[in-house]
This record gives sequence, C-alpha cells and structure tokens, in this order.
Amino acid sequence: MESEFNGLLTLLTFFPLVGVLILLLWRGVSDTQIKWTAIITSAVTLVISVVVLASFRAGDPGLQMVDRAAWIPSWGISYYMGIDGISILMVLLTTIISLLAIISSWSAIETQVKQYYIFMLLLQVGMMGVFLAQDMFLFYVFWEFTLIPMYFLIGIWGGGRRVYAAIKFFLYTMAGSLLMLLAILYMGLQTDPITFAIPDLVAQRATFAGVQNLLFIGFFVAFAIKVPIFPFHSWLPDAHTEAPTAGSVILAGILLKMGTYGLIRFNLPLFPQASADFAPYIAVLAIIGIIYGAIVAFAQQDVKKLVAYSSISHLGFVVLGIFSLTAAGVQGGILQGFNHGISSGALFFIVGILYEQRHTREMKEYGGIWKVMPVFSVLTLIIVLSSMGLPGLNGFVGEFTILLGSMGAATFAPAWIYTAFAVTGVILAAVYLLWMFQRVFLGPVTVEANNKLRDINTRDLFVMCVFLLFVFWVGIAPSGFFNLMDTSVTTLLADMNVPELAQRVATFALLGQ
Amino acid sequence: MNELFNLAPLILVFPIIGVLFNGLVGRRFVDHDRKTGERWSGWFATIMALSAFVVVVLLNLALHANHFHAETVMLWDWIVIPGQGLSIPWAMQIDTLSVAMMLVVTGVGSIIHIYSIGYMHGDPDYSRYFAYLNLFLFFMLILVAGNNYLVLFVGWEGVGLCSYLLIGFWHERLAKDGTMKNANAARKAMIANRVGDAAMILGIILTFWVFGSVEFNHVFEEAIHIFESHEEMVTLVSTNIEMAFSTALFAITVLFLIAATGKSAQLVLHVWLPDAMAGPTPASSLIHAATMVTSGIYLIVRSNVLYELSRALSVHSGTISSSDIVALVGASTALYAGLIAFTQYDIKKVLAYSTVSQLGFMIAAAGMGAYVAAMFHLITHAFFKALLFMGAGSVIHGMEHGHHEVAHGHHGHDDDGFDPQDMRYMGGLRKLMPVTFWTYLVGALALAGIFPFAGFWSKDEILAHANANQGEYGLFLVLFILLALAAVCTAFYMGRQLRMVFWGQPRHEAARHAHESSPIMTFPLVLLAVFGTVAGLFNLPKVLTLEFGWSLTLEHWLEHSIQTFELMEEGILAHVPHTPTSLIVEVAALSLGLALVSMGLAFYVYRDKPKTAADPDPTQKIPGLWSVFGRLPIDSFYMKLLVPWFNRFSAWLGFKFEWSFWHDFFHERVIRDTFVWFADLSANVLDAQGVDGIVNGLGSVTRWLADGIRVSQTGYARTYALSVFLGTVVLLIYFLWPYVMR
Amino acid sequence: MTATIDWYVALSAILFTIGALGVLLRRSAIIVFMCIELMLNSANLLFVAFARSLGDLHGQVLVFFVIVVAAAEVAVGLALIVTIFRTKRSINIDEINLLKG
Repeated sequence: MESEFNGLLTLLTFFPLVGVLILLLWRGVSDTQIKWTAIITSAVTLVISVVVLASFRAGDPGLQMVDRAAWIPSWGISYYMGIDGISILMVLLTTIISLLAIISSWSAIETQVKQYYIFMLLLQVGMMGVFLAQDMFLFYVFWEFTLIPMYFLIGIWGGGRRVYAAIKFFLYTMAGSLLMLLAILYMGLQTDPITFAIPDLVAQRATFAGVQNLLFIGFFVAFAIKVPIFPFHSWLPDAHTEAPTAGSVILAGILLKMGTYGLIRFNLPLFPQASADFAPYIAVLAIIGIIYGAIVAFAQQDVKKLVAYSSISHLGFVVLGIFSLTAAGVQGGILQGFNHGISSGALFFIVGILYEQRHTREMKEYGGIWKVMPVFSVLTLIIVLSSMGLPGLNGFVGEFTILLGSMGAATFAPAWIYTAFAVTGVILAAVYLLWMFQRVFLGPVTVEANNKLRDINTRDLFVMCVFLLFVFWVGIAPSGFFNLMDTSVTTLLADMNVPELAQRVATFALLGQ
Repeated sequence: MNELFNLAPLILVFPIIGVLFNGLVGRRFVDHDRKTGERWSGWFATIMALSAFVVVVLLNLALHANHFHAETVMLWDWIVIPGQGLSIPWAMQIDTLSVAMMLVVTGVGSIIHIYSIGYMHGDPDYSRYFAYLNLFLFFMLILVAGNNYLVLFVGWEGVGLCSYLLIGFWHERLAKDGTMKNANAARKAMIANRVGDAAMILGIILTFWVFGSVEFNHVFEEAIHIFESHEEMVTLVSTNIEMAFSTALFAITVLFLIAATGKSAQLVLHVWLPDAMAGPTPASSLIHAATMVTSGIYLIVRSNVLYELSRALSVHSGTISSSDIVALVGASTALYAGLIAFTQYDIKKVLAYSTVSQLGFMIAAAGMGAYVAAMFHLITHAFFKALLFMGAGSVIHGMEHGHHEVAHGHHGHDDDGFDPQDMRYMGGLRKLMPVTFWTYLVGALALAGIFPFAGFWSKDEILAHANANQGEYGLFLVLFILLALAAVCTAFYMGRQLRMVFWGQPRHEAARHAHESSPIMTFPLVLLAVFGTVAGLFNLPKVLTLEFGWSLTLEHWLEHSIQTFELMEEGILAHVPHTPTSLIVEVAALSLGLALVSMGLAFYVYRDKPKTAADPDPTQKIPGLWSVFGRLPIDSFYMKLLVPWFNRFSAWLGFKFEWSFWHDFFHERVIRDTFVWFADLSANVLDAQGVDGIVNGLGSVTRWLADGIRVSQTGYARTYALSVFLGTVVLLIYFLWPYVMR
Repeated sequence: MTATIDWYVALSAILFTIGALGVLLRRSAIIVFMCIELMLNSANLLFVAFARSLGDLHGQVLVFFVIVVAAAEVAVGLALIVTIFRTKRSINIDEINLLKG
C-alpha cells in the first residue's frame, strides 16, 4: 500500500482539536473568551473547508487530496482520508452548520460553558471524520466517536427529560452500529491481502457477493436508524426535543446526513445487486416515512417536536432519491440532504430563539408573534417556505430532482405510483408547516407574556442571514452544486453494473392502458 | 434578434426593486411620517409596476419588429444534471401569448396599484401591502414569461404564495366564533393550490421523461414529431422503459388540468377562491379575479399542442380525450358556480363565484380548442372583473364610512351584525355614489354579456365555437347547453346584485350615509370602465361578412404562438374544432336575448325585495337552489368531512399510534421493559441463585471438607515432626520394599 | 578390630534415633533444637564415612554444605525461639500451637 500525504483533509478534520487544546490549557479563561475561541476555531475550519472546495476538481470521479498511511498494517487497517463529489457537500455542510451552531449557543448556554464548547468542537472532528474517512475501520471509529460528545450535549445541556433522551439516542444508534461492525469485519476478512479501504473493497466486492444481502442489511440498519427511516425513528423526537438548540441544529443538520451519506458511500457501491433488489422495498419505507412524518407532525402541539417529525418526512425524500438509483435521484438526494440541513437547522434555531425568551415550546403559548417580532417572522416565513419546497428556494430543487429520479426508477414497479404517493408529501408539508406558522405567528397576540418579546438581535440575524443565503443560492442557482457531484454520482451508478439498471426493460403502464 | 428583447429581464427587476424598497425601508418611511411615507411607499410600488408595463410595451414593439417571431432570453442555468440529461434554464420566452398576458398583468396591475394607494390609506401595514403586490407582479411575470414548465411552476407557486400572504394580510382578524378567519382562508387557498401543484410537479416530471425536456418548444416539437411518426410506444429518455404515447399524453394533460383546477378554482378545488375574499379588495381584484386565477387557462393555452394531439388521438381511438375532460370540468364549474352565486349575500362573494364561473367559461373554451376565445375572454374578463371588484371595494369603502359616520353621530352606537359587504344592508347607492354606480353598471353589463360591452363579444365567441362544432363533436352540444345556462345565471345574479346594491331604498343607516370614494379610487374605475366597454374590439368578429381592418386582431396576434393553427395549416392535425371568424347572428341573438331576459327577470323579482335586511330572498322559493347550492356541497364535504377526518386521523396517528403505541408501548414496554425484566432476571434469579449458588456451593463443600481435615492440624510442632518422620518411614518402606522382597 | 563401615553406620543410626526421639518427645524448644542438630550431624557422620570408604570426595563436600545450612538454621531458629520467649515467656513447645486449624 502506497502512502500519500496531502495533509489538507487531516488538517480540516483535526483542526478543531487546536481549539480544544487551547480551552483545556488556558487557565482562568472567561466565558466570553471560551466562546470566541470556539467561534474562531470553527471559523478557521470553515475557511479550510473552503480551501478544500477551491482545490476540488469536479470532473474527477475518484478520491482527491488523499492522506493515506498504514495504521494497523497486520490487519490491513489504514489511516485513509479522501474526498469526492459525494462527500464534498456534506463537508461544507458540516463546517457551516457547526459554526452557526456554535455562534447560536452564545447566550443559550450558561452552565459549564467550557465543557460545552469542547464537546461541540470534538463533535465537529467526529462528523468531519465520518465524511472523509475512506477506510471502513477508520470510518467506524469516527462514526462511534460522534456519539460521545452528542450524548453529553443532550445529557448535560438538554431539556427536562434529557438523560432519558441521551441514553435512548446512544443505545439506539449504538445497537444499529454493531451490525455494521460485524459486516465490516466480515468483509475485511474476506479480502486477500486483508484490507479495509473502501475503494479496495469495492474493487473486490465479488468476494463477498454471495452474502451481500446480509451485509447490505447490516449496513442498512445502522444507517436507517441514523437517518432515521420509518420505523426506526423513535429515538429522534426525544433526542431532537430534549437537545439544546445547537444540539438539535447539528443533529438535524449533520448527524442525520451521516446515515444518508453512508447509504450512498457503502450500500450502493459495495452491494449493487442487493441495492437494486431492496430498492423498491426501501422506497416504500421512505414513502411511508414521508407521509407518516408529515401527518404525525401535523398533530404535534410542541413546535420542536413538529420540526423533528418534519425531518422524518424530509429524510424520506432523500432516501427515496438515493434508492431510485438514477443520477437525478441520487444527486437530488444529496442536495436535499444539504437543503434539509439548512432549513431544518434554521427551523430549530428559530424555535431556540423563541424558547430562549419564553421557555416554552407549546404552540398554544404563542400566537400573533408577527405583530411583536415582524423581522423575525418574515425570516421564519422564508425558512418555512423553503422547508415546504417553494420553487425558487432550496427545498424545491431537491424535491423536484428526487421525484424526477423516482419517476424514472427502473426498479420501482410501477414508478408512477411511488412518485404519486411521494408527491403527497408536498401537499402535507404545506398542511403542517402553515398550520404551525399560523398558530405561532398569525392572529392576535393571545398570551400576555408574548407582548414583551424582543425582535431578533444582530447576532441571530447574522446566523439567519447565512441560512437564507444558502436557501436562495441553492434555490436559484443550484447548477454549481450539482456540478460538484455529477461526475462522482454518475460514475458510482455506472460502476454498480446491475443488469436491472443497465437494461431497463419495463413497460410503463398507467390506468391499464 | 431585436435589441429590445434584451430589456426583458427588466420586467422582473422592477417589481423586485419595489419589493426590496417596501420590504426593507418602506415601513420606516411610513412610520416616520404617515402622509409622505404613504406617498413614497405607494407610488414607488406603482412606478415599478408602470415601468414594467412600459417594458412590456417595448417588448410588444420588439415582437412587431421581429415579425412576431418568438425570442428566448436566457438568464442563467438553473437545474442542470448532466448525468441525467436534465438541463433547465432560467429563460424567458417572449412571444405573442406571453406578451399578451404580460400586458394584462402589468396594465391591470398598475391600475390596481393606483387604486390601492387610496384604498389602503391609513392601514398600519401599508408598505407591507405594496411589497406583496410587487412580489405578486414579479411572480406572475415569471409565470407568463418562463420558457419552460418548471420556470412557469416557479411563478405558479410564487403567485400562490402572494395569494396566501394577501388573503392573510389582516391575519389578526377573527371570525365571530373566534377562529382566525383570514389566516384560515389563506391557508385553505395555499393547501387547495398545493393539491393542484402536486399534480403539476408530476406532470412536469412525466413531460421530462417522455419528451426529454421541459422547455415548451422542445416538448411541442417532440410531441408533434412522435405524433407524425405514428409510433404507439415512446421510450422514456435514457432508459428502456416504454410507455404508450396516448397514455403519456393523456396523463400529462390531465395532470396539468388538475393543476389548473387548483389555480383557476375549478371543480373540485374551487373552494378556496370565495374564502379568499377575506383579503384586501384590490388584492382580490388583481389576484383573485384578473390575473392569478387565469394562470390555469394560460397553462392550457400554452400546452395547446398537447391537448390537441390528445384530442386527435382519442378521435382516432374513440375514447374520451383530456381536452374533453377539460371542457367538461370548465362548463360544469361555470354552471355550478353560477348557481351558487344566487345564494350569496356578500357583494364580494357573488363576484367571487362569478369569477369561478367565468373561469369555467375560459377553461371550457380552452378544452374545446377555442384557445383564442379563451384568451379573449381572459383579457376582457380581467378588465371588467377587476372593475367590478374595485367597484365593490368602493361600495364597501363607502358603506364603512357611512357606518362610521352613523356610529359617530349616535355616540358610539354600534349595531352588531352589520357587515359592510352584505348586500342586504345596501340599497339606493346609485345616487350617493354616482361614479361607482356608472362604472359598476358597465362592468356588470359586460359580465352579463350585454351588447356592445366587452363580455358580450368574448362570451359569444365561446358559445359560437361550441355551437359551430357540435356536429363533429357530440359532446359540444352538452357543453353549449351548460355554458348557455351559465350565461343565463350570470345575467340573473348580476341583475340581482345591481338591483340590491344600487336601486331601491337603503336598508341600513350606513347605506344612507355612504358617499363617493376619493378620485384616486374612482379614476381607475373610469379607466377600466373604458376598457370594459371597448375591449371587444380586440377580437371583433366579421359582422355580416363585413371585415374591418382591425377585426380578429387578437387571433392574428396569437396565432404566432398557438401552434395549433400552424399544425392545421400544415395538415398535421386534420380534426381541429374551428372557431367561426364571423359573428353567428343566431347564437349572438340567443345569448343576448337570454341575458337580457334573465337580467330583466332579476330586476323584476327583486323590484321591491328584500324590503328590510332581514327579509328572505325571493329565490329561496325555487326548490333545491338554496337547500343544495346554498349550502355549498363541495365546501361542506371538505370542511365537515374531510378536514375533521384528517384531523382525527392525524391525532390518532400522532398520539395513539406514534406516541402511545410505537414510542411508549413498543419501545418502552416491549423493548425496554423486556430488557429490564431480563436484566432483573439475570441479576436476581440467574445470578443470585445460579451463578452465586455454584460459587457458594463450592465454598461450603470446601469448608465442610476442611472442617474434617482441620482436626489433624494440632499446631504442635511435635505432631508435625512425627508426621514427617512417619512419612519418611513410609517412603523408605515404599522404596525399599522391592529390595526387601527380592 | 578394624572399624569397618558398619560401625559408622550403626553409630550414625543410634545418633539419629536419639535425635529423632528427642525432637518427638522433649518439650523444651532448645533441646528439640539440639536434637535436630544431632540428627544433622548423624547424617554428616554417614557422609564422611562413606566418602572415606568409597574414596569419593563428594560426600565430604556435601558435609560442608550441611554444616553451613545448620549454622544458618541455628541462627534463624534461635532468633525465633528468643522472639517466642519474649511474647510467651516460655519455650515449652506444647504451649505453642498457633498453627492449629
């Protein structure tokens, strides 16, 4: 195995540790200094990720900026980092959302400030590692590592039932990961010479093709819990509701994307036949998730829970896109993952702003906020519309390409029924989001305490503007985003080399004609 | 390409500048100094609308100079996925159809902006209103200017959003039962529209897979190409999936129809439009009468090739075509809404139902292949319906002022139940509000289809078309009857409204004290009344073989962008319903006669009724009218059945299934408690009795053995020495035994 | 009468028996101790005697080892006895049964 070292991705991943180190060593540091240290560290990481973006070659389907060195040579485990079109958007999402989450914690976190920011920075390291690791063992280490800071973020700074939620989150995701670990070990041991590097395994996938259904399920369950795909979603409403605002933002914005990213990175290229075979069933789960999440969201009385369930609905679209196994669907899925990170992150942030002032998330405690906080309300409306998929804003671009891919999916039989059911999610999104918006923002002010609410402050306005920048950017000019991933995705799908996908012989029947 | 085409993006730039101005700084102006601020806010928005209008006029000239050839103005790439062969640009198509729509949108839009300056005077959210109005223009212009279905869809949903915002403009207003009347109406509009929009998304996606593009020209060329080659099956782009062409066409066109029923308030998605009247009246006038609601007609006219091909294919196979379905939906809506309008007391709701009905006319016309007639009616309707709404706004304004005056004079006397929009409280306003009256009369006559007002010509063209083609298409007779009945209804309810509002005695103090609105509101009325009178000239048919130079202007104008004409000339389409080019005197006489009789009848029936506001309506005697249509059957179905059912289902799913069953029961009871039970079993039973038992048991056996052996341990050194000695002796004997025995 | 090896063996046996009986029967720790020495020396006698009669020096060398071990034993043993005497005020081994099970 040849060693390579570019260093940029390693720097990107581990740079937040510099901040952690400073915080640990700095005696007598004040809260403000802690916050600034964390913000600057995260901002520099963002800058590094922009440098990565600038040196990224969109036309190259392979891994770029590779760092590779032996780690445990006797087991074929290597320290292997690389980036391609599938991960670049997730990397950018991670740095952006992490920075925004850290900024948004400024006034929300009042106790154990130092530990909080240390955990936030550690979490960033873990998430970045997940998206960049190209060795399955390394991936697994990062994957599990993210649980630890998140566990503490929920368990220490969360809401009323935080310990329950933290433990549930930890156990649920951990349980799923174990199946993945088994699958990873099995695959690694099948290869000769033994290796855990993903590209090598993809090249040698014939060696474990015989049991690919089992291996597929092993990976799928781990990722399905993370996404979460119905019916593995039960940890999500608890974790999302109890986490502190920044925790929810990161959870919705990035952690869930680790699941969808894993599906694309592992399941599709490693087990192409199993992916094609399971695709219609997973798509059914995804569509159930779209509709189920939306209807359950509509019933909620708690704003944060509503947003949490809306995530299930939105992620259903992402999974549907991925398992359409079409270029449009997969790219739409990745982009929608990014979009969901922006819109749902922003929605959790919005709920956080209200919660900070009123300390309640019950919708009946609000109403008529528009009159009191006009600027905040307009910004919220735009985010709500983006989440609803209003064309011209980011959500639509993802949803449309996913539905387009779903309609052309060779494995869905018949595709138009799948798509027709999925498209009801567009209607239901309007139903629950507008209902939420109406109950919180419209009408007269019904609760006296709301008259004293202050409109959005400059710091929060800045965060919202960054969110809105991406809402409009992706909505109006997404071609650059597609361009980043097109080559990688197209190559991935072509490499799957499954007869059902290459030879699409099916008759598109409608109404029996 | 004429250089003037490069100005096209400006039609979008001006409104968006207006949005930014009023959205960002307008409020500060207004709050700082009410009078000057309002002037800045209102006139800035109006000037932006007028600027857009000027640009559209220039585009019109450019088209003339370009011999009516369409031009595409590329802005930038939007959704581009090379791996899927998908490439959708932000691009504008400037052709005669889109420019015609733009002229209506910016022209009527500008007039309504001016009117709004007066109407919204004193509203605390004055600048927000104008921001919305400009935003609406922006999206509406995107809708009509887009060169592909997806950009059209951006405008399509964008105007839906503006409609939501404007209906909910006074969102804090509550109904008598405490519900959020306006906010609910806004939400209802958005959701009903979304149902149609979902269908549209499906239609666009299917269009892409079948034709490989969503750009109008490309789609139509491809469709004609497939049609000409007589292929029964088409292969979806870049796949091997095959689909019957007729099925594909049918599905796409029906999906677009569903989209149109949402936006243009047709059966069965029309329920949002009457509720939408909760918004400010000028907004109702612009969005819910003149422009936005006609987008459905625009969509169908724009897709005329697809609908005509569908008709041609079904003539061939003898099945019902999507165009027939379009026409049926339109005609039934026209009649259904017309009947409901009989039972409404709210001056705006009558107009709302009449809008639904007239939109039905347009949709029916488009479905029958009378695309020019549909557009003609769209344009004339835009003028006279905007006029009627603004007239109604003026009446409401007058009533409110009258009520205010009365309440003031009686020292806070505030009679409950008074509603400035309820026609039962009006009466005799003819003398008090003369300008409003005369302009309103023009509008009403135009709407009722009375010669020579605009509505007569456009409605007559539709009826003539239905009549002329009924020999070839059996369905058209049914449509003709439905539409003629709807026209009768129109004349009747407009007669009823005129009589109740402007004639007779005032039935409320407020009506007695009403007075004329300010010139800034009446000037637009007069302007529109002029158009409402003469707009028929746009497409005047040949009267008795007499041909004027300007006759059929609209048809000659639009034939450059409605490809059906071209297909007919080239003989690709053999069977296309033709619209008669000259006035069919019998049909015209019939429709005029029916309208006059019907209107006269309305004046007679309502000559002295209702005398007071509490009197019952004379038409209540007609069996079935009030008991069926008065109860809004479809609305009731949604609001009393579907919505509560959905709410209950949602609550069941959210609380019972998701929370009680899946979250609490399955995860907490089944998984967690099973684990806890098992852990308990392990700790207290298996471990305490099993594992511990073994360990302890071993211990006690050892102890018992040791108790036996310990006796030997005396502790005396001597004993140990003796045992060593004896041991030695035994060992010695053992080793020496063989020697001894030998 | 020449002293044959048998004489030495007999003397050694007698000495060993006296020693063994002393260890087993006497109460005084000092005497028990001296009896042990007696047994050791009886073994030494046997070593030397056989070395002489077989003409092998190994036996004589071994005796030196035994003497050294015995000396060490005396040192430790006496120290123990002194310590026991300090605590118990007696060296009667019948009173010392700390190892009783």
